Amino acid sequence: MKSGDKVWEVFIQKKPGLPFKHAGSVHAYDKKMAIQNARDTYTRRGEGRALWVVPAEAIVSVPLDQADAFFNPSEDKIYRHPTFYEIPDGVENL
Amino acid sequence: MKITIDNDLAKFIIRLADTEMILGQRLCEMCSNGPFLEEDIALSNSALDLIGRAEELYKIVAEIENKGISPDDYVYRRNEREYFCLKLVEQPNTDFAWTIARSYLHDVYANEVFTQLQNSKNENLAALSKKVLIEIMYNLDRTRDWMVRLGQGTEESNSRLQEAVNHMFRYIPEMWNWDDIDQKYLADTDKVKANWETEVNGILKASNIEKPSDDPFFMGDYRDGIHSEYLGHILTDLQYLPRAYPDAKW
Repeated sequence: MKSGDKVWEVFIQKKPGLPFKHAGSVHAYDKKMAIQNARDTYTRRGEGRALWVVPAEAIVSVPLDQADAFFNPSEDKIYRHPTFYEIPDGVENL
Repeated sequence: MKITIDNDLAKFIIRLADTEMILGQRLCEMCSNGPFLEEDIALSNSALDLIGRAEELYKIVAEIENKGISPDDYVYRRNEREYFCLKLVEQPNTDFAWTIARSYLHDVYANEVFTQLQNSKNENLAALSKKVLIEIMYNLDRTRDWMVRLGQGTEESNSRLQEAVNHMFRYIPEMWNWDDIDQKYLADTDKVKANWETEVNGILKASNIEKPSDDPFFMGDYRDGIHSEYLGHILTDLQYLPRAYPDAKW
């Protein structure tokens, strides 16, 4: 598409109560066209009952070159996983 | 095999079936030829809606006629003069604006017709009409938005849409030449026309498109199997395989 269009990210919810999942992206000139294009591109086979489209430019993401600074510190901290506790006998449903 | 249709209700329904089928075929031609990927898929979705709708209508025709003729036979084994689609839907995809104007003018018509047919005495037709109105509502919303977008877009898109509308409007008057069969199965034909005009006039205005003058010029009526020069070519494409290989199965 030519100038004037934007990229929109598409999220689909399969059933009420479930989280919206990222499905992909579409091009569109306005909100309504974006939701229609998302419907026509990503929900042709009964993928869901609710749709979100979000302008891709509205999404804030971690810059690629800062990924180490953001994520490396969590790699060697296994104690953050809740696996070091003994579960008392009486506790059910944990 | 010469396919004739004898029952009045079947004659009425096959006009709708042929109209939906031929528009479906025209929109199929846009598959891989859309202006961009998302619109390409949207047009193909719309085409499948139309062909599915046509098939259900042919099934009702087949049941009423009860001569052992299948929906495939109706589509693949009738000639031009045995087809009863609106000339509007035969018009080519000369330009994206043509594709949109043709679908929009049809969708408004289909919306009015199937709304009335929800109360048909034929239960199958009434039930089908309720179901297809949901699809029509979506397709109409889409084509209506495109009319306004193209009309209000640029000078170029506006003039292309104007040209498309001028062309399509030549094939509108025959829609209103209601015959006895139309009158018998549509509750209120005047209302179909009045509602169509209100909607279309409003959108032409919103799209900065001038309504073409009602220039009546002579042409035969689609109800008699008279068509524009395009239908023969459409059928050549559509029917090639089953005519060349009559025993082919898929």
